[in-house]
Amino acid sequence: MTLHQLVDSQASPAQVLAFGVTQRFGKVAALTGVDLAIQGGLITLLGPNGSGKTTLIRCLATVTWPEGGSILIDGLDARHESDRIEIRRRLGYLPQEPGLAKRARVFDVVDYLAVLKLHGDERRRRHLVYDALDRVGLADRATDKVGDLSGGMRQRLGLAQAILGSPSLLLLDEPAAGLDPDERFRLREIVSGRRHQATVIVSTHLTGEAAVSDTVLVLLEGKLRFVGSPAALAATATGRAWLQEHEPATARAWWRQADGRYRCLGDPPAGSQLVEPTLEDGYLLLTPRTVASPAAAAIPRPPRH
Amino acid sequence: MSSGSPPIDPARLDRNWRAISIELDAPRPSPMERMLRLVGFPSRMTRLVVATPALRRSWFLSTGLAGFLSLLTTGATDPREQLFGLLLVAPLVPVIGVAMAYGIDADPAHETAVATPMRGIRLLLTRAVVVVTFSSFCMALASIITPNLSAMAFAWLLPSLGLTTTTIAAMTSLRPRHAAVATSTVWVIGVLSARAGSSDPLAAFTSAGQFVMALVAVAGLLVTVARRNKLDLLPVRS
Repeated sequence: MTLHQLVDSQASPAQVLAFGVTQRFGKVAALTGVDLAIQGGLITLLGPNGSGKTTLIRCLATVTWPEGGSILIDGLDARHESDRIEIRRRLGYLPQEPGLAKRARVFDVVDYLAVLKLHGDERRRRHLVYDALDRVGLADRATDKVGDLSGGMRQRLGLAQAILGSPSLLLLDEPAAGLDPDERFRLREIVSGRRHQATVIVSTHLTGEAAVSDTVLVLLEGKLRFVGSPAALAATATGRAWLQEHEPATARAWWRQADGRYRCLGDPPAGSQLVEPTLEDGYLLLTPRTVASPAAAAIPRPPRH
Repeated sequence: MSSGSPPIDPARLDRNWRAISIELDAPRPSPMERMLRLVGFPSRMTRLVVATPALRRSWFLSTGLAGFLSLLTTGATDPREQLFGLLLVAPLVPVIGVAMAYGIDADPAHETAVATPMRGIRLLLTRAVVVVTFSSFCMALASIITPNLSAMAFAWLLPSLGLTTTTIAAMTSLRPRHAAVATSTVWVIGVLSARAGSSDPLAAFTSAGQFVMALVAVAGLLVTVARRNKLDLLPVRS
């Protein structure tokens, strides 16, 4: 049995239950009555900036306690001290800003986290650190300074910290933000590879990242608006995506394709040329009109003539 | 029974080679870490200390402030006035050091650290012990070079402990920097008031004053333990 197998055999995906989770910051409601029941697989938490993704991830990571409702990880409640420690033993967490010290060595950064994860024995720690670095393709950079790594490598280093010791719950907050397509692909491969050993929750505002997941959660204005597979999210737009030659008058959102035609979302006029909906179509149609403006603004608008 | 050599399990061979290469390739601890291990600190503790840039900053600060205080005390003419300056400022060195060694403002990896099974209180107290030990050592050196050396030159020790534990207790409600500013302000006002109300500039550092600071130290520790759960969370709206 290899070290990988030895570590993996100890892990089984964590069960995450949330009941009416509510969090406010002053007058702003970051989360409102979020209910959730998931175990295993790759789960993408999709939503625009400011929709409450980070707050929900932080609540699940036990670094913030929700004002209302409760969260149970494998039946454990983080409000109880002993439960909290046990949850954190099973947790791998990559926050939006992992705060990696640029002058530290790659090995030391992960080893530091190994100590925080209570791996006391130095020799075992060394193996766990190399195992994690190996998984993210950084074992040969162990003695390099963090400052010498590219942005994508640093993100993978943060991921190495998160997957150290094969946690059964892996929470990654916007891990792909700012990465080039190559690095995004590598990161996706690594994260995707953990879906059988852990419940992996990845927050993102990029719909393309959700396509490879088992389950998509759409969070809008602090409320969970959709839970289901990527195919089911795309299917919500069935009959509501069409192509036309001219700029639409009534569509919820539209953009001009490379072939010059307009792809439109909303209620199609009679006789429209309906098309196969995508995950992005489903997501955009879920977005309420009040927050549709910034989302729609990100879509290339037709040029004004 | 087979007459050939026993078969080699390739997976086991791989595992052994891997273990050997990890032992060979793992980077050596830094000189500072090796030095700490040499004086008896366990490896997991030295890693907590050395891997934190914030902690290194507070070390440099302690050394710098101790040096500054040494200059300050040697520059004054009245020995008791010299001592007053040292005793007023010395207890603030670990307070500032602790505030700079923990929390979201000081440690960029704080959020990652909070989400680990190592309790916030354990991490904070580990760093506080290191900071207080180091700053006390520096301040002791500064005290030794004061003119007319007496036991009074070390009267900052209990106030240091009292202010540090109070600051840590305040950190369960406030951000570390705010906690340090609040504690330091109360301390400076208290000592200056005691001085204004007495002909002895060192009135605040007599046995009675030391007893009060010992009580403050214990109270600070008790409050910290009672409110330790707060150290396991990020500050609101971080």
